Amino acid sequence: MSDVLLQAENVGIRFGGLQALEGLNLTVRDRELCCIIGPNGAGKSTFLNLLTGTLRPTSGSVRFLGHDIAGLPLHRIARLGIARKFQIPSVFPSLSVEDNLKVARWGTSSPVRPVGELLDLVALGSRAATLAGELAHGQKQWLEIGMALAIEPRLLLLDEPTAGMTPQETLATAQMLLRLKGEFSIVAVEHDIRFVRALNCETLVLHQGRRLRSGPFHDIEADEMVRDVYLGRR
Amino acid sequence: MIARDRNWLLIFAVCAALAVVYPFIADGYQLTVIRDALIFGLFAASLDFFWGRTGILCFGHAAFFGIGGYIMALVTLNDAIPLGSLLGILGAIAGAAFVAAIIGYFLFFGGIRGSYFTIVTLAMGVICQQAAVSWSSVTGGDSGLIGIPPIAFDLGEIHVDLSQDLPSYIFVASIVAVVVLVLWSLSRGRWGTVLTAIQDNEVRAAALGHNAPLRLLVTFVLSAAIAGLAGALYVCMAGLVAPDLSGLLLSTEVIVWVAVGGRGTLLGPVLGAIAIQRAQQTISSFNPSLWPLLLGCVFVVIVFVLPDGILSIYARLKSLFKGRRQAQ
Amino acid sequence: MRPKACSQACANASQVLPDTMDFVVTTLLNALTLISILMLVGLGLAISFGLMNVTNLAHGEFVTVGAFAVYFVQSVGGSFWLGLAAAPIAGAVVGCILEFAIIRHLYSRPVSTVLATWGVSLILQQGLELTFGLGAKPVTPPIEGTFDLFFTVYPAYRLILIAIAMLTLLGVVLLISRTSFGLDIRTVIQNREMAEGVGINTRRTYAIAFTFGAAIAGLAGGLVAPLAIVLPQMGVNYLANAFFVVIVGGVGSIGGLVAGSVFVGGLTSVLNYQISPSLAQAIVLLAAIVAVRLRPNGLFNGASR
Repeated sequence: MSDVLLQAENVGIRFGGLQALEGLNLTVRDRELCCIIGPNGAGKSTFLNLLTGTLRPTSGSVRFLGHDIAGLPLHRIARLGIARKFQIPSVFPSLSVEDNLKVARWGTSSPVRPVGELLDLVALGSRAATLAGELAHGQKQWLEIGMALAIEPRLLLLDEPTAGMTPQETLATAQMLLRLKGEFSIVAVEHDIRFVRALNCETLVLHQGRRLRSGPFHDIEADEMVRDVYLGRR
Repeated sequence: MIARDRNWLLIFAVCAALAVVYPFIADGYQLTVIRDALIFGLFAASLDFFWGRTGILCFGHAAFFGIGGYIMALVTLNDAIPLGSLLGILGAIAGAAFVAAIIGYFLFFGGIRGSYFTIVTLAMGVICQQAAVSWSSVTGGDSGLIGIPPIAFDLGEIHVDLSQDLPSYIFVASIVAVVVLVLWSLSRGRWGTVLTAIQDNEVRAAALGHNAPLRLLVTFVLSAAIAGLAGALYVCMAGLVAPDLSGLLLSTEVIVWVAVGGRGTLLGPVLGAIAIQRAQQTISSFNPSLWPLLLGCVFVVIVFVLPDGILSIYARLKSLFKGRRQAQ
Repeated sequence: MRPKACSQACANASQVLPDTMDFVVTTLLNALTLISILMLVGLGLAISFGLMNVTNLAHGEFVTVGAFAVYFVQSVGGSFWLGLAAAPIAGAVVGCILEFAIIRHLYSRPVSTVLATWGVSLILQQGLELTFGLGAKPVTPPIEGTFDLFFTVYPAYRLILIAIAMLTLLGVVLLISRTSFGLDIRTVIQNREMAEGVGINTRRTYAIAFTFGAAIAGLAGGLVAPLAIVLPQMGVNYLANAFFVVIVGGVGSIGGLVAGSVFVGGLTSVLNYQISPSLAQAIVLLAAIVAVRLRPNGLFNGASR
């Protein structure tokens, strides 16, 4: 079990009287790719906040490389090797694309990939001098993935990486991630099923704050109960 | 980006050349006027380094100017201290930095930004002025301290004596030039870029591994240290220190210099300080209470008409012509 | 008849007791005076700074204008009470003009609001100085003399001030909790878009709330005029302290306002007995900063980090 990177055991969180999440387990091994899916309001983002230490669970535990990271300052968590892409694309609008990536590289003590390589990875090579605020929505999402890569993470957490993207952009993003697969662990929270199908990885399905099913995506997709609550009859 | 850097260096070179030529055409009095204005320009640049790069407005920056001034005065007026001028300057820098470090620590690490920061620093300025007035056994109260000697020290082979107009002008002008150049290279390089990122989205910057509160704190301390240096230089040139130097009015004026000169340009605030003090002397000679009134109007006008400072008129005209040309 | 020794001892004890009681009661009442004023000044700031997110650096001038209103009415022969009635009106007029001419255009530009309102503050100060001349303005209280409170004698006017302040605050609480306008304000504060959705004119609500806060600050200025040194520059001290009240107490509740006022006013009054006022101010500033560091959401909003 030495290759376990992130382990959530029996995690739950309660906001006032509301039990938002309950009894969730997730094990992310080194260089593994997995997805968390579920309908809106299933608690996906809350779960991600627990995994990144932004929130502290009221029951159970979350450990990254064996350490409790809940409540640590954000920059310390980043330096441990956890990168996060936010749900709303958050880049630095008044800096150029290149400077955005530079700022990300400066955040880590040992950047590896040069800016040029990062630009190519996220398909923004031709926009290096553009102000990030002037990018199209999908390009902002990609830039943010590039920034997360720049800090050379051990674990990359993506909160709805394809929100607001066109179907083509969604597929391109999936291919981007598949190319990176094996370099570090990736956890993606999504509700776009085409994207998850393209990744075809271990998947955890949340429903009303609890685990509904987990396993490889093709098993999940075939599951009647998952189809009922989530995939719908559409 | 590159063109902007070149333009900045060009303007800097022109200003430096003017500063070199000026002693040949000006008499002693005019030289001291510009010298004192340059010290306030240094003060303005110190505020701009913080405000311009972080977007957080410090409304009590004169407190650091005043702290620097009083420390300088107390050290040089004490005959028991050797190398008074040199230690005084160092003490002034350290004292201002120390106060900024304490206040900044609690505010930045407490998550205080924006308006809250502005308010607390405003209060800090008010209190510093009150302290200067009421702690009269040390500060000389309302009338302040007089008889502060000009900067003079021997350090091995180096003999510095600034009792004459020309040497003091050269000394001040060189310090201003060096500090502005250093601040500029800091703010266009890695330090400033990360500060801009923090200003854009602090949470994002932190999630990339940047310790945002620490960086803001260091920037604030550096800014206060330079304000302290400016205060120390000023009291030696003026020969006196008074509570006004840490007062709200000076804090207000320095904001106007920066706002009029152009926030974030470093050079603009220096020029703004020189130009506005010139205007102030003319206007105050009519009626001293007219100046604050006019200052108030300037604030309102800046906000509504020229949010990016006087230098932005040029950029606006340029874009106007460009727009016309494109329209044709 | 008691034994002589006892009566002596009793007399001694009762002499020590009234002295400490005198001190305690006087300090408490002084603190209460300051707390009352801070609550009134802070109320308007809690509305503009805390709820509308507008940093109004001209708020102190509402206090000044209120004090000058009392001075002006007295100087033309009117009574103090007439002046006190004019004070909130003067504050409201200035506040209304300020909101209409400047603040409503800058809701989305916080730093610009700071600069513009500071400009207005300077203009008002100098305007008052040019109109009324240099120097402190005398304002006489409506009642001279003291009131015997058993443990101590205390200036009667200060007791009246405390009473008026408390009644005003009570009135505000009732206004906000019981009237339809109060409901509008609470709705706008909680969710501006939603309020617009249900047909509340948020712009008008903001304007009225702002003017209302200015009027209360003007009233505070009128009340404090007989005790304070009435100068065009008097506002800035109230401005700084009122901001501390709002910052320390947290925004969004009358409870926070009271807690902040008690913290700032109480600490200032107690410290003023021991040390010089400016040192006391510095300590209050430090205490406020530390309090904010420990409880970023305010003393009253229990959630600490």
